[in-house]
Amino acid sequence: MAKGEISINNNNLKSRAAFLSEYAAMLMGSGVHSSRVIRNTKRMGEAMSMEVIISNFHKSLMLYASDRSSGESVNILKEIPSLPISFEINTNLSRLSWEAYDGKLSFDELKERYRKLVARPKLHPVVILILSSFANASFCALFGGTWYSMGIVFSATMIGMSSKQKLLSKGVNVFIVFALCSFIASIVASTAVIFKLQTSDIAMATSVLYLIPGVPLINGFMDMMEGHVILGMARLIDAFLLVLCIAIGLSGTMMLLRNSLLL
Amino acid sequence: MVFTDILYDASFAAVAGIGFGAISDPPIKAFPSIAILSAIGHAVRFCLMHYAGFDIASASLFGAFSIGFGSFIAGKKIHCPMTVLSIPSLLPMVPGIYAYKVILYLIMFLRHMSVGDDNIVYVQAMFSNFLVAFTTTFNLAIGATVPHFIFREKALSLTRVKKSKL
Repeated sequence: MAKGEISINNNNLKSRAAFLSEYAAMLMGSGVHSSRVIRNTKRMGEAMSMEVIISNFHKSLMLYASDRSSGESVNILKEIPSLPISFEINTNLSRLSWEAYDGKLSFDELKERYRKLVARPKLHPVVILILSSFANASFCALFGGTWYSMGIVFSATMIGMSSKQKLLSKGVNVFIVFALCSFIASIVASTAVIFKLQTSDIAMATSVLYLIPGVPLINGFMDMMEGHVILGMARLIDAFLLVLCIAIGLSGTMMLLRNSLLL
Repeated sequence: MVFTDILYDASFAAVAGIGFGAISDPPIKAFPSIAILSAIGHAVRFCLMHYAGFDIASASLFGAFSIGFGSFIAGKKIHCPMTVLSIPSLLPMVPGIYAYKVILYLIMFLRHMSVGDDNIVYVQAMFSNFLVAFTTTFNLAIGATVPHFIFREKALSLTRVKKSKL
């Protein structure tokens, strides 16, 4: 932790509000839709006898907290970190807010639990790689691809997904990664066209679908339907740009193949 | 065989749901529910499209509905938020092949732009594929969100673990 971190024993309004803002930013960063973030944080504030109002944006959030007994209030503006999407953090931190609300934990215990939950290890990248390759191959089957096409999609996803993991861990820009990985996966899948398989178009189409940003797409719609229109739009535009990058990578392959695509 | 067709569809949807879900790091104990929900959702859509004559967009709406309601029931059991279960289960229904065709016909149009009147066929094909892809995705989101509004208060407290009686 940074040098200026508030000491755990300091139980005043400011430290409680700082903890809440970190909690809310962590939820937002892990891909939780806005109304859940607000509800969870308010519930947590309620447990610490604070009234909390939050204003959410795409990259930052503003939190106002006032103490019920003293009437003191504090405003905090917090940057939202860009973290990988994690449903596990979503689940565990939601549960933590209920535990706090039901009065099971003291503030120190709460902070400790929060640190432990956030530091929990993620699924191993190799497991994710294998599972998503199987998923994309089954996706190919759902669209009517043959077993050969499924095999090609499996290997295409494996190569594309592993390059995505490598590039993202090296800190390459996410848009470049998506365009590049879409190109890589579709060029591997284009072997189906070269071998003149019956369902080569399905193999080509499904090879890039592991990249589809499904979570921000659905979160964006949900935010908009729950009244967080601006944030919902921001999420949708974010997702749309990623889809555009996938399209750019895919069209790169299609430009190379041109005439052989229309069988 | 009707039954084996549905089973074939459902089992592949289950594998797809688990795999795409794994990318978003769900809790381990959510995996069985995600598999079942994706299978149910996709099978509902499959049946409606093949045996009841529905189009893909409205069939997806009902598929997403069943996933939304299912995620409420399953979420209650394992104390998971509804979205944690519903979003990975929706992913196998994303209309990828239509999105692909939008790009394919866009490129075909650009390549034939100067070749006379032929190109309008590609514009037509591109636009109709786009409409299908867009409405289907939109319906997926609506279908999964509506149960949130129906269950309102109950949907908000799925992650609350009831205190054991002392």
